[in-house]
Amino acid sequence: MTSRALRILANWYSIPLLLLVWQALVAGGIVESRLLPSLTRVWGALVNDIGNGVLLYHTGITLSRAVAGFFFAALIGLPFAAAMGRSETIRNLFEPIFFLGYPVPKIALFPVFTYVFGIGTPSKIAFTFLECLYPIVVTSYLGFRGVQTRLIWTAQNMGASPLVVWWRVFCPAALPSIFSGLRIALPIAIIVVVLTEMIGDSIGLGYYITISSTRFAFANVYAAIVVIGVCRFVLDQAVLALRAHFVHWQRDDQG
Amino acid sequence: MKAPSRSVQHWIVPLATLAAWELFGRTGLLPRYLSTPTLILAALWEITLDGELFSALASSLYRVSLGFLLGTGAGVLVGLGAGRLPGVRHFFDPLVSFLYAIPKIAFLPIFLLLFGLGHASKISIIAFSCFFPVFVASRHAVLSVNKVLIWSAQNMGAPPHTMFFRVIIPSAAPQLFAGIRIGLAHAFVILFAAELIGSKAGLATLITEGEEAARFDLMFAGIVCFAVLGFLSDRVLMTIRRRVLRGQIMGTEEQVVR
Repeated sequence: MTSRALRILANWYSIPLLLLVWQALVAGGIVESRLLPSLTRVWGALVNDIGNGVLLYHTGITLSRAVAGFFFAALIGLPFAAAMGRSETIRNLFEPIFFLGYPVPKIALFPVFTYVFGIGTPSKIAFTFLECLYPIVVTSYLGFRGVQTRLIWTAQNMGASPLVVWWRVFCPAALPSIFSGLRIALPIAIIVVVLTEMIGDSIGLGYYITISSTRFAFANVYAAIVVIGVCRFVLDQAVLALRAHFVHWQRDDQG
Repeated sequence: MKAPSRSVQHWIVPLATLAAWELFGRTGLLPRYLSTPTLILAALWEITLDGELFSALASSLYRVSLGFLLGTGAGVLVGLGAGRLPGVRHFFDPLVSFLYAIPKIAFLPIFLLLFGLGHASKISIIAFSCFFPVFVASRHAVLSVNKVLIWSAQNMGAPPHTMFFRVIIPSAAPQLFAGIRIGLAHAFVILFAAELIGSKAGLATLITEGEEAARFDLMFAGIVCFAVLGFLSDRVLMTIRRRVLRGQIMGTEEQVVR
């Protein structure tokens, strides 16, 4: 038991160590406490703003935007990727858009999105959709393309109708790639929503960070950072749980 | 017969989009803020001639390249160290797994307060955000080097530096490049956001200036430059990768992602 506790300590000591150093720096007055508020003040800000609902409100806004954009990207991107994987014409038509467009920093288009969709929620969701669409389509398209022709032939040979081939062979074979695409896209959704909220909005965690920093309330900035980290962890676990459910034949460490 | 029709198909959607944009833009069916491709080209020419493009480009390029190089360098060094030395690994793993989950842009206000509105805050936050994907990839790459290779080299009496440069780095290189590519993508996103939120120079500022003056052709010119800059940097990185990994790519089917 003690050896296990020691091992945990040996593997995780750096976080408490860093927090100790942080606290010591603040207590010793070495850094400005305005810039690096003490841990107790960060904790206080966190508890206070969760208690009065402010942080929960902004988190709700950010999460709903991120999930909505992500959801639409999956809803449109996955059938699209499947079509690209199966039809050569569709592949030839859209491959350049996805493969040449992939490394283009799409964030530059955000100002245009604010003109087309306004500065509120719609432009955030639309932009999150665009940013999530790329990893989802590209990753799952490679999965759909990688389905072994042998499997399809075998199914056809055994008299499977096209619908059955799609549903029982094609989709399950691509499922691991689909999930890795979703897992890449989800954190992107959160990053993009926070980022665009920081650029311009009056609600959401990104706004909360900007407004707290202009008020020099850096304890609240750190509190929001903690909340974002927790959200991302929870969402990632949700995708992993979904994957474990749907791709039960693939072990966790292979993803 | 097959090959030409394929490359023709590749051009249909992009060209049709541009043509439709131009056509609908000219006939006034599109709102004015969408401009038209020809107007954007004219605006590009205009800012090239008056030098505005070059000063903005120089400032953005300086920030992104320095930030990217610093962050990537640190990520590779610490990541390789963490892969080789358990002590380093145990120190960095918990910190990185905690910080990795947080969008680095959330730290921007802190960096702005620390380093001011000039180059330093952008460079440091770009470096900060590049560090993580590169660290994770190189740590992982070193740990997954085939043990047999290491044992053989040890068996043949390879000294530590030979081991490092001739065995570990070459076999970790493909994963290293994958991490660096993600870092590069992060660098441009952070650059754009940091320039929009707090800056007086750079391509993003060019875009906001165009916006404020209602010169939407200028805004798009800035957007095009930014997109092209990001795209070309990725291409340069991929070219370097192909050079470095020549031996490893040879004979294998390169992924469709070019």
